[in-house]
Amino acid sequence: MAVRAQFENSNEIGVFGTLTNSYSLVAVGASENFYSVLEAELGDVIPICHTTIGGTRIIGRLTAGNRRGLLVPTSTTDQELQHLRNSLPDSVRIQRVEERLSALGNVICCNDYVALVHPDIERETEELISDVLGVEVFRQTIADNVLVGSYCALSNQGGLVHPKTSIQDQDELSSLLQVPLVAGSINRGSAVVGAGMIVNDWLAVTGLDTTAPELSVVESIFKLQDAQQGAITGSMRDTLIETYT
Amino acid sequence: MKVTWKDIGTVPNANEFLDVVLNRTQRKTPTVIRPGFKISRIRSFYMRKVRYTADGFTEKLQEIVDSFPRLDDIHPFHQDLLNTLYDRDHYKIALSQLSMAKHLIDQVSRDYVRLLKFGQSLFQCKQLKRAAMGRMATIVKRLKDSLLYLEQVRQHLGRLPAIDPNTRTLVICGYPNVGKSSFLKSITRADVDVQPYAFTTKSLYVGHFDYKYLRYQAIDTPGILDHPLEEMNTIEMQSITAIAHLRSCILYFMDLSEQCGFSVEAQVNLYHSIKPLFANKTVMVVINKIDAMRPEDLDPVRAALLDTITADSNVEIMQLSCHLETNLMEVRNSACEKLLAARVEQKLKGTKVNDVLNKIHLAVPMIRRDGVDRSPFIPEAVKTLTKYDPLDPNRRKLARDIEAENGGAGVYNINLKNGYMLENDEWKNDIVPELLDGKNVYDFIDPEIENKLNALEEEEERLQASGFYDSEDEDIFETEEDADIRMKAEWIREKKKLIANENRSRKSLRNRAIIPRSKVRKTLSQMEAHLDSIHVDHSEVTERARGRAAEEKAYEASLEEGGVDTIMREAARSRSRAPDSTANLMQSSRFDAGLGTKALRAKADRIEKMHRRERNRMGRAGEADRHVPDIMPKHLFAGKRGIGKTSRR
Repeated sequence: MAVRAQFENSNEIGVFGTLTNSYSLVAVGASENFYSVLEAELGDVIPICHTTIGGTRIIGRLTAGNRRGLLVPTSTTDQELQHLRNSLPDSVRIQRVEERLSALGNVICCNDYVALVHPDIERETEELISDVLGVEVFRQTIADNVLVGSYCALSNQGGLVHPKTSIQDQDELSSLLQVPLVAGSINRGSAVVGAGMIVNDWLAVTGLDTTAPELSVVESIFKLQDAQQGAITGSMRDTLIETYT
Repeated sequence: MKVTWKDIGTVPNANEFLDVVLNRTQRKTPTVIRPGFKISRIRSFYMRKVRYTADGFTEKLQEIVDSFPRLDDIHPFHQDLLNTLYDRDHYKIALSQLSMAKHLIDQVSRDYVRLLKFGQSLFQCKQLKRAAMGRMATIVKRLKDSLLYLEQVRQHLGRLPAIDPNTRTLVICGYPNVGKSSFLKSITRADVDVQPYAFTTKSLYVGHFDYKYLRYQAIDTPGILDHPLEEMNTIEMQSITAIAHLRSCILYFMDLSEQCGFSVEAQVNLYHSIKPLFANKTVMVVINKIDAMRPEDLDPVRAALLDTITADSNVEIMQLSCHLETNLMEVRNSACEKLLAARVEQKLKGTKVNDVLNKIHLAVPMIRRDGVDRSPFIPEAVKTLTKYDPLDPNRRKLARDIEAENGGAGVYNINLKNGYMLENDEWKNDIVPELLDGKNVYDFIDPEIENKLNALEEEEERLQASGFYDSEDEDIFETEEDADIRMKAEWIREKKKLIANENRSRKSLRNRAIIPRSKVRKTLSQMEAHLDSIHVDHSEVTERARGRAAEEKAYEASLEEGGVDTIMREAARSRSRAPDSTANLMQSSRFDAGLGTKALRAKADRIEKMHRRERNRMGRAGEADRHVPDIMPKHLFAGKRGIGKTSRR
């Protein structure tokens, strides 16, 4: 299922929320509208937790996590950490990371098996990522951007990368991540796909500005609602050429 | 490129125009002038009026001219549409009249400003101004018809449908009354008037729909009759414009039942006569009203005629019935499909497509890196999850509903602790202190924190003992030179500290002034002592100082015998009082400084005197002074008063 939503008039959903296969985090906002969108889609399948990180609402950019764990930056207060511990299932490991690049969501992009990280991340952090999240870690760039978390949205089914990623890079990254990838935009042409949407294995939430072709690409690549990835090169090819040129 | 012109400002008619501009001149320029004023002032007063009025006119005219689309700058489709609707020549002439008027007004203003420069009296200047404004008003009044026309054009232009000539377009055309509008109405949400008589549609109508995630526009055109292009009226020409200029898929509608009032022959003939316009476009012939007559049921003569359409080109014939709503979507979809294919084919020939190749590429992992299973993780509960339906009475109660019940956003505060997963639900809302006995509670939340810390410290000790932290090449071997420098630096630091301390202890200044160090007098012997203390050879310095002192003495002695260009009045006086004083005043006289000759001195004196003169010595009453001409005007106070006249006075 792919749905469009807004967080307080902002289309950058990935900034204000985190979605994994076993839990979801939502920023504390002025109203419950965004929370309710997730609630309606997820039901009671996974817990949805209101939280702040270091007092801010940009939790999606500050945290990185998957089914097995959650990494939070040093700015997280003890109270927030305790709140997260109490709200998330015990099977999820939570770890505070002492890392200079503290916007972990921007520098880490992961699913349940692999993670791409910023090339300048510290060695200790790299070890923490592989221990806590249980993933293989690769230092990579996406279309010459070091902020892999911002420019890539990844699930176990597939991944959406920066619209200017070359075909060769896509193939390399795909072999590395072992999931199909496609280059595309979100929120009416925005290149920051990681910050513009949140995705897990059965749900994607994008900004309200996302166009129909963009949403259809999202549905196909993440295999939401029985969509097939082959459609991107097949039945949707003409539509895509027509929209992009 | 602009496709709508809804934002053109209203065009005033000639009289309103005059009122606006002249009113503005009256409001925004000075209004009081008297014959007694200087003539230059009177002239500039009127020149300003003339110029301001002319500026007002030209500004307004330019604004109008600029707000209308320039026919050469817009898409050929709009160019042609505007030509059919408003007549290109008429339109251009109206606009050019406006800009001509602008030039004329400029000219008038320039001429009259030039004449005003030679105005001799207030009356003359005023008449010139009147003449100038009169001529400008005449010029504007002559624009009456153009302004009226442009206002009508503006009103019509703003109501034209927003047709984008470059997007995906279906153009629906054909004879009148064959069901074009009802087709548009059934495939889009456009609210088109459908009536059972010819020429119900008199202009272009646009509707939008989505197909394959793309937005299409469908254009309903007025019906066309089969006669030469020159004889066509404005309504038909709009259709021709749309057919000719839009890169689109043409749907040529036909009615074989002849309910429309036109024979099949006529319809086929029309197709053949407008066929030249279909070049480079995808064309589809749509047979409407199959509920009344199907092509299969046609008599052989007419069937043969119909076949002439498909004979020469790859035109597809489709059938539908708007009345029964059969085949509607099939026709629409196949038209869209054809159009899309044609457009994509066109685009693939260009170079732009190279930029999007990476976006229509699906990168699939080439090789399986290892045998690890990387299957998706979807909980079973997802499959049984019922979709949230806002209309369902038994729907889930969302946080938003709870919020609305409790006063809405900004009033209601959620309880963050509600979702806690604890062993005992009663613990949820327990208050946990942040600090206890001066310690952060969360530092001790782990029951084994003590053990862990001990383990860490032990490891640290072990590492320290085993020399893990000792780095090998610390600078053990220090050269003698380094040691020397180190010692000296130590000594300098010590000395600096001493000096600072000494100064600090000298703070007992009480009320005495702080004398800057450069002004404090130090004797030679003091300097010698200090240099001795820091072991500096000072023989040279003292020698020089002694030598200089001797020189100075000799110079002063020579001055006493008769100085040349220094004045020593003060010094002489002081010497007469205290002959042993050594403080001579050796400065030139400030009084004469910078003044070469006696004449200059005299001039300076004169200027000084002038400046000292009292201001406004010969002062008279001026216009700025308050003036009451007559305190008790005779006519107001004299004479008999009848009853009730006091207040009136």
